[in-house]
Amino acid sequence: MSQSSTISNDPPGSYPQLIALYGFLPNLFRAQSAIPQAIEAEQQVINIVVVRQGRLSRSQKDAILNAVATVRSCDYCRALFGHSLAALPDRNSGLFDFSLKLAKHGPWVSESDVLILKHSGFDERAILEAIVTTGVGVMLCTLADGLRPRLDTELRSPASSELLNVPDPIDWPKTPGTHLGLPTDSTADSPAYAVLREQFGYVPNLYRLQSAVPELLDAEVRLLESVLFPEDGLNRVQKECVLLAISAANLNTYCATLHSQVLNILGVPLEESDRIVEDHRHSGISGTDRALLDETRKLASLPGRSNQRFETERLRTQGFTERQIVEAVVVSGLANFLNTLQAGIGATADFPPRKVFGPKDLYLFSDRSRPISDATFPEDPDSALVARVREGNIDVFEELVRRHSRRIFGTLAGLVGNIEDAHDATQEVFLKAFENIGRFQGRSKFSTWLTSIAINTGTDFLRQRKPSESLEEMQDDEGFRPRQVQKWADDPERLLAASQMNELVREAVLRLPEKYRIAVLLRDINQLSTEEAAAVLELSIPALKARVLRGRLMLRESLAPHFIRQDKTDA
Amino acid sequence: MLSCADFLAEFGDYIDETASSDLRAHLEEHLRECKTCRVIVDSTRKTIDIVTESGCFTLPAESVDPIVSAVMARIRQRTT
Repeated sequence: MSQSSTISNDPPGSYPQLIALYGFLPNLFRAQSAIPQAIEAEQQVINIVVVRQGRLSRSQKDAILNAVATVRSCDYCRALFGHSLAALPDRNSGLFDFSLKLAKHGPWVSESDVLILKHSGFDERAILEAIVTTGVGVMLCTLADGLRPRLDTELRSPASSELLNVPDPIDWPKTPGTHLGLPTDSTADSPAYAVLREQFGYVPNLYRLQSAVPELLDAEVRLLESVLFPEDGLNRVQKECVLLAISAANLNTYCATLHSQVLNILGVPLEESDRIVEDHRHSGISGTDRALLDETRKLASLPGRSNQRFETERLRTQGFTERQIVEAVVVSGLANFLNTLQAGIGATADFPPRKVFGPKDLYLFSDRSRPISDATFPEDPDSALVARVREGNIDVFEELVRRHSRRIFGTLAGLVGNIEDAHDATQEVFLKAFENIGRFQGRSKFSTWLTSIAINTGTDFLRQRKPSESLEEMQDDEGFRPRQVQKWADDPERLLAASQMNELVREAVLRLPEKYRIAVLLRDINQLSTEEAAAVLELSIPALKARVLRGRLMLRESLAPHFIRQDKTDA
Repeated sequence: MLSCADFLAEFGDYIDETASSDLRAHLEEHLRECKTCRVIVDSTRKTIDIVTESGCFTLPAESVDPIVSAVMARIRQRTT
């Protein structure tokens, strides 16, 4: 938002709990003065979650909030939350790590993350407090990202941002399920339940699972009543579309399912919601609503999806009023808040999901289909570290090695096929990267540049190897056509033990001709986007796609004999 | 309607869910009529899932620290 246009002179006394908390009414809330009921509802949530004495201490909650602002690189909220991370005594706890993971990699949070906290002595209510505090932090950061309030004169500029080690997640939770076992029937007849039933037709699991803390449930429902249900600015369908699009961008199966169903009740066919989930740019929505989703989707909380800024001016030119633009940001904050709660609590879908998200959907909404004129190079998450290494801070390079070693090793292991060689080659890659970092010009992401070095290094290893050391490659037949056309078993992963499956896949990948092997490694094992993989290999997009498809079909041919359905009732 | 050869040349974007709505409509029209291509789409998707979720080239978590230490030791040795 334009900083001056949204800051009104509302009397600060209207929001006594915010004044009591901060000593003044921060610009973050003043910027929402077009919808005072939203500020009041946010005030109530903050009061219940952050201020009120609960299982967690205020110090623990402050640590969580500061962690969220730091991993989201939100300087305004780092200043607002008011503590340097180094000064927080609770920053090294499991609770802190849990909240970092929830804020940065929410969809990867699993029951085992919650179990670790339970084993550390936190009860379920304390864990719920940690989840909701994280959600509040994410919501406030979203508001700051969209509204861009000027730093209040009462706040000190935050110190330079600290590096937080948030490991890349490894295993996508395969079995969805509730992480908390709090009782769920204590407020069966509460006013909050009545509102939810009236609006949704039932009480969604996400709220039912928080009913053991009725005042929290009340505050969340009040937030819905103040932000989502009114139609003074954006209409309800537009708001639900924002919730749906952001939930999809955050890979949140539960919330995408819920809001598809709500849209269906509002007259939007499920198929149209499916298209918004897949890519709203190819759905049947109007140009105005497309702009709304284009911009709000930039505020999704999952990092790596988009590093573009929310563009107020674009919405103005589409005819949105100032109030509607503020609403769009506030609804986006609500979406990220609810997505974070769901990821932490693990509420299971109230309806069979029409799409279950997985890690490969991370790139579903990348900018690959944008027209060139609209494309901007996404910000590189490694750029700050790279700059510090280039300035001579050698120790910072360690963080880059730590971030990328698993991915680079995976690429090399798939390329050279030998674990020892892959270990050696991984070290070589990072040494070459360090030695040449002065030549890295930032025209691609650092990770893409690093992968290019890995491919060259791995290929050199292969050239130096005697032919007898390699598995025999499949023939690179230009006229390749699938021959195995019998139907596969419904659940092939269950037919073999994990170790057998790994060996089977390993051999099949290693037998692919090198150019297809590399393409499949980059796209399906390394999970690079099409553009990134094409950049690494210096191929055109169509050429890269052709190699990936050929590689996948050849792999399918190799694996088919192991997975063809045995009953043969259907071809 | 598309031939099977045309379908097999174009279905990469369909699998990756990046096909334009027009292309998707053509491909789905073919799929409605062609059982063989339905099998190929289904088994290719399963192949991608199997390969993506396979840990066959994964560096064990406990091996990260030794690699980081070895790289940093070599760098510090070269820069001192």
